[in-house]
Amino acid sequence: MNGPIRRLTLALLVGFSLLLANVVYIQAVATDRYRNDYRNARVQLARSERERGVMIDRNSVVLVSSERQASTFLRTYPFGDLLGHPIGFSSLLFNDRGLEAAYASDLRSKQDLTISNVIAGVLGNDLRPANLRLTLDVALQQIATEALGDQVGAVVAIEPATGAILAYVSSPGFDPAILIGGDAGPAGDTLDADPAEPLRDRVVNQLYPPGSIFKIVTTAAALESGEITIESTFPNPTALALPGSESTISNADGRSCGSGAEVSLARGFISSCNTTFAQVAMTLGTRALEAQAEAFGFGSDIPFIFPIEQSLFSPVDLTDDLPALAQTSIGQRDVRVTPLHMALMVAGIANRGQLMSPYLVSEVIDGDGQVVSLTQPELWRKASSESTALTITQLMVDAVNSGTGTNARIDGVQVAGKTGTAENPGQAPHAWFVGFAPADQPTIAIAVVVEFGGLAGDEASGGRTAAPIAQKTMERWLKP
Amino acid sequence: MTRNAEGALIVAAALMAAFGVALVNIAGQESIGDDVALTFFVMITAFGALHAAVRRWAPRGTPYLIPLAALLASVGLSEIYRLNREMASLQKWWILIGAGLGILTLWGLSSVGTQILRRYRYIMLLLAMVLLLLPLLPQQWPLPIRGLAVNGSRLWVSLNLGFIEMRFQPGEIVKLLIVAFLASFLAERQAALTMRTRKVGPFEFPEPRQMIPILVAWFASFGVMVYQRDLGASLLLFSAFIAMMYAATGRNTYLVVGGGLFTVGAVAAWSAFSHVQTRLEAWLAPFDNYETTGYQISNGIFAMASGSLSGTGLGLGRPSLIAFAPTDFIFAAVGEELGLVGSVLILAMYALIISVGMGIALRSRDLFRKLLAAGLTFTFGLQSLLIIGGIVRLFPLTGITLPFMSYGGSSLVANFVLIAMLIRISHEERV
Repeated sequence: MNGPIRRLTLALLVGFSLLLANVVYIQAVATDRYRNDYRNARVQLARSERERGVMIDRNSVVLVSSERQASTFLRTYPFGDLLGHPIGFSSLLFNDRGLEAAYASDLRSKQDLTISNVIAGVLGNDLRPANLRLTLDVALQQIATEALGDQVGAVVAIEPATGAILAYVSSPGFDPAILIGGDAGPAGDTLDADPAEPLRDRVVNQLYPPGSIFKIVTTAAALESGEITIESTFPNPTALALPGSESTISNADGRSCGSGAEVSLARGFISSCNTTFAQVAMTLGTRALEAQAEAFGFGSDIPFIFPIEQSLFSPVDLTDDLPALAQTSIGQRDVRVTPLHMALMVAGIANRGQLMSPYLVSEVIDGDGQVVSLTQPELWRKASSESTALTITQLMVDAVNSGTGTNARIDGVQVAGKTGTAENPGQAPHAWFVGFAPADQPTIAIAVVVEFGGLAGDEASGGRTAAPIAQKTMERWLKP
Repeated sequence: MTRNAEGALIVAAALMAAFGVALVNIAGQESIGDDVALTFFVMITAFGALHAAVRRWAPRGTPYLIPLAALLASVGLSEIYRLNREMASLQKWWILIGAGLGILTLWGLSSVGTQILRRYRYIMLLLAMVLLLLPLLPQQWPLPIRGLAVNGSRLWVSLNLGFIEMRFQPGEIVKLLIVAFLASFLAERQAALTMRTRKVGPFEFPEPRQMIPILVAWFASFGVMVYQRDLGASLLLFSAFIAMMYAATGRNTYLVVGGGLFTVGAVAAWSAFSHVQTRLEAWLAPFDNYETTGYQISNGIFAMASGSLSGTGLGLGRPSLIAFAPTDFIFAAVGEELGLVGSVLILAMYALIISVGMGIALRSRDLFRKLLAAGLTFTFGLQSLLIIGGIVRLFPLTGITLPFMSYGGSSLVANFVLIAMLIRISHEERV
C-alpha cells in the first residue's frame, strides 16, 4: 500500500512546489508590474496619504498645496485652470506633467515606510517635502489670461536679464483638480475630445508660423552682415516679382511701402513691409539668414525643465530657391516657432543680444523655510552684437510709437515691439506681438499669439489682436 | 522531538500570536492593550490543553502536528485581528471550541482506539448524509435548527438555542466522516477489491457488487454538494474518494477513471453553472476582466505583489482592500503584510504537516489506520493546495477555507479533530 501513498504524497508536494513558484513569481519577479498597476488602489491611497510640497509664486502667493483631511492629503489648486499648464498634476490615471512631474522627487514627502527613508529618518534627515518658489507672478498671469479671454493662444512673459518666466499662459487651460483622482477618467476623456485641445501646452508644444515678428531675425542678419544698415534703401514696388517664378510678394494692405520710389530698411521695419524684407533677404543670401536664425536658437533644444518643440527655419536648403527665401524672411513658408522661443528671442533683443535660459522655479525651499537650491540665471546663447540689438530696439520703439504696434503703447512708459500676422492658407491668420518695456531698461519681455485670429477672425492682425493683450499685461507689470 | 519540546513550541506559538496582536496595535498607534494578553491566554489555553490531552491519551503520538497547527493558527489569528476585531474575538472562541473537540476526540478514542470508527462505519455514513442534508432544511419552520442561505449557497445550518444562535457548515465535518467511512470500508474489502477483478480492455475493475456501497456514498455526497453548489467541497470529496481507492488498491485504473469522471464533471459543471464559467474566466484573465469577474483575484495578486519580499509589516499594509480577506483570501492578506518570507514559511508549514501525516500513514501496519491517516492528510493537503492555488492562479478559485488560518468555526473545529485523529493513529502505531 505504501507505493500509492508515496505517490499521493509526491503529488501534493509537487503541487506545493508549483505554489512556491507562483508565489515567488508574484512577490519577487513580476512584483513591480502588479504593484504599480493603476488599478491597485494602494497606489492611489499611497499618493493621497503623502503630503506634497507647496508651490508659491514670486510674491509668496500659494499656488498649490496639500490639505490634510484626516489621514489623507488632498492636492488643492486655489487658482484652478489659471495655472493648469505650468503646474500640471500628479495623477493616478494620466501621465504626470508640468512642475508636479518635473519636481516630483523634491515635492514628495519622504515619510514613508521604505527602508532607505526609515533609516534616513533615524539619522535625523528631514523627511518633509520640499516646496517651490516659482518665478511666476500670479497677478500678471491673471491679467494675461483675462486679456486673452476665450481666444485660443498663448502669452509668455520673461524677465529679459535673467530668463525668469513671469507669465505662462496657454489658452484654453484646465483645472488639474479634476484630473488627479481615481475617478478622473470621464473628465480626462472630455478634455481629450475637446477640439480646442485644452491639454495641449501651447507655450512649448505648439509650432506656429511667426509671420512678421521673424523680421527681427532678418533685420539682425542684415545688420550683422555689415553690408546693410537701417538707412540702406531698396526699390518700393506695390508687388515684388520674385525671380525665377510667377509669384509675387506684396504688403498686408496691398500697397507700396510709403510713397517714395525707394524705401529704407527702417521704414520697412516700422511699417512691416514684406516687399522690403524680401529684397533684404535676397541681398543677404540664405546662409546669412539661416546662420542668424540659428544664432537665435532655431533648430536647437532650449534648455528647460519641460521639453520644448524645436523652432524650424527651413526643412530644405533655400540657396537656389530665392522665392522661398523671400517668403522665409517674412516668417512664412516653412518657418515654425513656439511662443516660448519667441519670448526668449525678443528678451534677447531687450538683453542686448544675450539670450538667457528660461526658468520657472527660482528656489527649492525645505520644510524649515530654508532655501536649499537657488536657480542662477544662465546665458543660453549670444544672438547678436549689442549694437545690433540696440538698433533693433530703436526700430521696435518706432514701430510701437508710429508703426504697426501702436496698440501696445503705455502712458509714461516707452514700449518696444513688433507685430506679426501669420497667414494660414484658407484660414484666419495667427496674430502675433512680441515686445518689451521699458525700452531703455527692460524688465519684461513678452510674446503673444492668438490662434486663427481669435474673435476677430479674418479681420485679425498682430497690431489689432495681439498688441492690446501685450499692452495690458506689460502695464500690469510696470504699474502694479 | 519530545513532548516537552512540543510544549515549548506551543508557548512560542502563543507568544507569536500575542506579538502579532501587539504589532497590529503599534501599527495602529493604539496602546498595547488587553488583546495581547487575551490572545496569549486563548492560544496557550487551547493548545496547552490539547497538549495535555495528548500527554494523557496519546502519549506516543507525533509531537509535530500541534506546534505546526498552533503556528498557523497564530499567524491567521493575528491577521484576522488586524482585519476585523469582531471576527478575531469569535475566532478565539472557535479556537477554544476546536481544541475542546480535539480533546474530546482524543478522549473518545482513548479506550477502544480508532478501531471504534471502523466498527461504526455505516452509522458514520448515515451521520454524514444527515449532516449534509441539514442545510436543505427550510429557512422558516418551527424547529430551532434551520437551513441558511449565505451568498446564494445553501451550505449553512443555523442552530438557534434561544440565548445564542450558532451557525456552522456541516460539510467540513462530513469530509472527516466520509474519509473515515472510506478507510474502514476499503480496509475491509481490500482483498476483494484487488483480487476479484474483471478486465475491461486494459483496465481492471472490481466486481460491481463490491462497489455498490461506495458508489452510493459517492453519488449521495457528491450529488448533494453539487446541488448545494459547493463545488470546491465536491471536488475535494471526489478527489479524496479517488485517492483512497487508489491508495487501497494500488491500481492506476482509479486514477484514469477518476480523471475521466473529473473531466466529464468539470465540463458538465462548466456548461450547467454560470458561476463556474465566471471562475474560469477570472482564472484565465483576471486583469482583462478586472471590473467584473477578475476583481477578486486581481486584488489578491495586487496585495501579494505590494508585500513583495519582506512585506509591509503586520498592520501596515492594506489587506482590507482584498475581498473576503479573513476567509478565502487570508493567504493573500498575510502575503501582503509578511511578504514572500511569510508566504514561503506558510507553504513550508503546510508541506510539513502533509509530510508528517503521510509519514504516519506510511509507517502504519494496520490497513485501516494507514488508509485513515492517508485520507485525512490528503484531504487536508489538497484543501490547502486548492485554496492557495486559487489565490496565486495555479488553479481556478474555489471558495474553501485555508486550514487553521481562515476565519470560520466549522473549518477550525474540523481541522482540530483531524489532527487529533492523526495524533491518535500515530500513538496506536508506535507501540
